[in-house]
Amino acid sequence: MATDIELSTQPQRGRVLPAWAWIGWRWVWRSPAAAIVPLLQPFFFLYFLHLIAPAEYFPLQVAGAMLFSTQNIGSWCLSDSAVFRIELRLQDIFVASPHDKMRYLFGVAFSNLIPAAPALIALGIILAIVTSVSLVGWLVLLACILTIWVLYSAIGIAVSSRLRSQREVWPVGNLIFTLLGILSPLYYPLSILPPVWREFAHLLPATYAALLVQGALGLGPAGSVNLAADAGLLVLSTAVGLVAAWWLYQWRER
Amino acid sequence: MVFGLRWAGSGVFLVTEIRVQLHEWLAIVTGTLTPGALLVFVAVLAPDLLAVTVIGALVYSMFLIGQRVLNEAAYIRIDHKLNELYHASPLTPEAYFIGIAGGMLVAYLPPSLVLLVILEILHPLSPFALLVLAACLLAVWAVSATIGYVVSTLFKDMKTIWPYSALLTNLFGILPPVFYPLRLVPLEWRSAVLVLPTSAAAVLVNAAAGLEAITAEEAILAAISLGAEALALFAFGIYWARRTARER
Repeated sequence: MATDIELSTQPQRGRVLPAWAWIGWRWVWRSPAAAIVPLLQPFFFLYFLHLIAPAEYFPLQVAGAMLFSTQNIGSWCLSDSAVFRIELRLQDIFVASPHDKMRYLFGVAFSNLIPAAPALIALGIILAIVTSVSLVGWLVLLACILTIWVLYSAIGIAVSSRLRSQREVWPVGNLIFTLLGILSPLYYPLSILPPVWREFAHLLPATYAALLVQGALGLGPAGSVNLAADAGLLVLSTAVGLVAAWWLYQWRER
Repeated sequence: MVFGLRWAGSGVFLVTEIRVQLHEWLAIVTGTLTPGALLVFVAVLAPDLLAVTVIGALVYSMFLIGQRVLNEAAYIRIDHKLNELYHASPLTPEAYFIGIAGGMLVAYLPPSLVLLVILEILHPLSPFALLVLAACLLAVWAVSATIGYVVSTLFKDMKTIWPYSALLTNLFGILPPVFYPLRLVPLEWRSAVLVLPTSAAAVLVNAAAGLEAITAEEAILAAISLGAEALALFAFGIYWARRTARER
């Protein structure tokens, strides 16, 4: 009870986001490889695809790499929140503090957006070089990136709350995020996939983000009805994903 | 006698590591994801390169064992402080290194066997090509396990490890011609990539399997590089294990 009284006298709002951004930046600063690898990762895939795939797919693959990099932030969130909870026991401190659950989740996601930002900016520059992108195209791309960031970060943090050992972080993160990344048509048009795969891909939010971006950039089917349907399904599937993540997430240890 | 003592406990530790790793079936499954992703890319975008990519996936899977050795050795040392206990026992440092590397090799063989079956369906290998494949995969394992073990001893916390392990696997596995044929590499870069263990192995197996024509000079350069790197690095791994057995 005494704790409640003390908490109520404490500031309930604060500079939480800059603090989390600082955590993200400090990690990058103290571990330069941590900054370089996320920057290089999408380029390794792009280089490989550039060698084996028809040249006309390259702009689509650059846009796909932006979504893939954003999706991977979920894997880093999973790893970070597992380290905070299991190794550093830092989550207990957050639970005991006035810092609420929502801010904690958003903070972890935000701190992980920082190391990914240079890669996203570099890919954006490449995209502008290889194809012309309208203002609407940029806005759609930005909206899709933000949606995917929120959804996959939530999935990563929710899954991490169920892990019991650091040893599970790598395989579980890899399994979820690599599989989701491959199954969604981020690096190739949906139309060239086998029928069963195509149907399954329609269950994944990143598919609608990819279709929306491809349509808005003129790299895929771009009818206004198509785009509106893809946008609606992206919002719907993201909402379903967020509810599932919220249900899965454990804030307090039992 | 001295030689026997040097390897005391190797067998028991090897079996222990195999059992530990076989319990981590999820890690074994997820180890197949990156090569699986590249196989999917090739199957969708360039199906004519599929046999070359399966050979690349076999080589890459062997190289990934180094990443697993890195994670396991770091986990045992940093998280569990278990290596102190091992090193205080009659288990020698070199047996510890060989045990982890060998345990990983055995535990991670099943996905490679699946890839081998797929390869046999797509492009059956001659006995000579199978021999070259086995030799090259063993050489890649020796190189990657040593790199993984040595790198694991350089870290003080688990969180900083993954960028380096991801960087190593991408630099050695995705950039050079492991999943794609040597002919796609510009002429001036070919000698350089043939010195890298992963691409040397892939190119030698592709050539032995009749999937790619290389010159005698290229074959000699790749074979000598791979053999020398495997022997030298594995010997260095044993030396390093002895040297870093105790924390300073």
